[in-house]
Amino acid sequence: MQPELPNPPSDAEFVGLLTQSQLSLLLYVRSLLPGEADAGDVAQQANAKIWEKRADFALGTNFLAWSFAIARFEVLNYRKRQARDSRLTFSEDLEQTMASELQQIDDDLLSRQEALRKCLEGLKPEARTLLMDRYETTESLADFARRIGRSAGGLKVSLHRIRATLADCIERRLATGAAR
Amino acid sequence: MTPEEREQLIDSLIDGEIDEADFLRIEAELSVDPEVRALYYNRLKLDLLLQREASGSVDDSSSAVAQAVAPSAAIPPVASVNILQRRLTGIFAVLAATVLGFVAWSVWNPDSSRLGSPAGLAGKLEPTAAGFAILQGQSDAVWEGDPLATGSLVPSGPLRLRSGVAQIELFSGVRMVIEGDAQFVVESAMLVRLDRGRARAQVPEAARGFRVQTRHGDLIDLGTEFAIDAGDEAARVEVLAGEVELHRQGTARQRVLEGDAWQLSDAGVSERSDSESLQVIGPDAFERQLSSQQIDQRRQWQQRVASMRADDRLIAWYQTQQTSADGRQLPNLAEPDLHQAGAAAIVACQPASDRWGQAGGALDLSRTGSRIRVDVPGEFGGLTMLCWVKIHSLDRLYNSLFLTDGHELNEPHWQIMNDGRLFFSVKKFDESNGKRRRPDKYNFYSPPFWDPSFSGQWIMLATTYDAQARRVSHYLNGAEIGSEAVPADYLVPQVTIGPASIGNWSEPMYRTDPQFVVRNLNGSLDEFVLYSSALSGSEIAELYRLGNPAR
Repeated sequence: MQPELPNPPSDAEFVGLLTQSQLSLLLYVRSLLPGEADAGDVAQQANAKIWEKRADFALGTNFLAWSFAIARFEVLNYRKRQARDSRLTFSEDLEQTMASELQQIDDDLLSRQEALRKCLEGLKPEARTLLMDRYETTESLADFARRIGRSAGGLKVSLHRIRATLADCIERRLATGAAR
Repeated sequence: MTPEEREQLIDSLIDGEIDEADFLRIEAELSVDPEVRALYYNRLKLDLLLQREASGSVDDSSSAVAQAVAPSAAIPPVASVNILQRRLTGIFAVLAATVLGFVAWSVWNPDSSRLGSPAGLAGKLEPTAAGFAILQGQSDAVWEGDPLATGSLVPSGPLRLRSGVAQIELFSGVRMVIEGDAQFVVESAMLVRLDRGRARAQVPEAARGFRVQTRHGDLIDLGTEFAIDAGDEAARVEVLAGEVELHRQGTARQRVLEGDAWQLSDAGVSERSDSESLQVIGPDAFERQLSSQQIDQRRQWQQRVASMRADDRLIAWYQTQQTSADGRQLPNLAEPDLHQAGAAAIVACQPASDRWGQAGGALDLSRTGSRIRVDVPGEFGGLTMLCWVKIHSLDRLYNSLFLTDGHELNEPHWQIMNDGRLFFSVKKFDESNGKRRRPDKYNFYSPPFWDPSFSGQWIMLATTYDAQARRVSHYLNGAEIGSEAVPADYLVPQVTIGPASIGNWSEPMYRTDPQFVVRNLNGSLDEFVLYSSALSGSEIAELYRLGNPAR
């Protein structure tokens, strides 16, 4: 590295930064790869790269901006490796907008998860089971629908309704602080 | 586009179920409307949390933290623990246990080139170890393939315990007793797949959500203790304390309370008609059983030692569990003869558990300055040094086993280099002899034997010196790991010892400079034996077999 660079962080400081930015990083990678089952792996890859390059990071500069740039590069790499046709990707402008917005996100994942748990309890048991089963499998929606004997269209609507209910419930709880 | 429609498109997008036309529509909305983007972010979060919820809090994305952090051995353990505890709030809390396991492990162990690295980062970083659990104890355990050593990391991948009982301790804090014949996989610190066999688990509060996966469905623990018997037809479950949830895909989760007997089968989740107990031994009872077995083994070993005391090759036999009344000395158990060494003096050592698991039976030498002082008169045409040690890490350049004070002519030094090689030498030449250009002694190194899996485990080390056969041999756990001929010009026909230290190096007695180099062994000693000739390989193997508690 260039000797005139400001101090690189100690490993301990770096772990702190990396840990703190996990949610943002994960959301960013997922926002660029919606519907990709491999998004988690790509984020993992990005983590590894970020760690590898930690000596390049200067304390006092924007860690998220720096790490997002690395994550974005990993996403591009992933797309290149996939090289499937008809891959739907957002415009570069939109990707950049999302990057800067997600850098601002300051969310308490714990209270969100707590709220989600409470809201899940409020669901009808069939709805809860359906949702959990959907998230436990990696099958496509069509395969899953076939297995549980439902039409894909109908299932899509059901899942959407359940999610909408949950999302409302979570926002309400977070707004009133009821999750704590 | 209605708000409803917008939400549906976002859901389809996240589900990966969107067609190109709809993709372009939602992209257009996302590009111009910050509220649509906010909605998109919220749905991504929901999706992420639901995935975690469904997978019992341990998924790939969260272990990403562990993996990125795991190899960072350069971080002082305390600092990293604090940082992690502070920063890994909430959702990462369960994971933290795993991270701490990894970090502590990797900090602890200076060399693990043999073991895989979790994130492929280890090339440039300090080494790591891989695994989610420790084999805490076993009784008559027969494993398919290589035997697993007590105290070692439980390997990943399918394991088959053909017979006997084993207890594993997961880094999440779950203690699990498994009875053979059983087939299982430790998938993570929070997930064990039990394909066949009986198990009983005790789950601490911090590991709520721990899951056992069977072919018939999942058991999710909601705290405390349960037994499970995974068979071909069904998985029978018995809740001993607290409660669990049983879950079979496509059905609602079933809560099962303390004292209830249920089962998972192709027919679904149902109450068992037989309410008979599954009769699996619990972790506490198993530990008591192991402990009493070890007490028996220790007693047998001591009887053996009593019968071996009369060997006229013996110079000294010190057992750290047998201290003098004031606890400051170790009597020499060898029967008196000409080359009698006296009692050894304990300096600065702390009591520690011995290799039979008995509290206070061993001496911990890790406090700076610790040593056990001996004085060995006489001259010997051969030597066997043998000890049981539990080493935390080889963090000094020289890690002492047995060294004479200073380093005078004809005196031996026995230690471990920080790269894991056993080191033995006998000083042949005096520096003041004028021949400055040649070394004053020849160093006999074993190949590196140490890897992180030895850390905190009792091992038996031995080295023999045979002047007549001109040979030095090194042994680990009864097996020879290296042997070398003594070069003719470095042969010392008669070795002398005099004042010496076990577990440290003392410079000559009457010097007054308080500075000293740190060479004490970072670990504990349980037994130290000295013979006046080189024992054979089979004798050493036998001493290991008899004295090894992990049978």
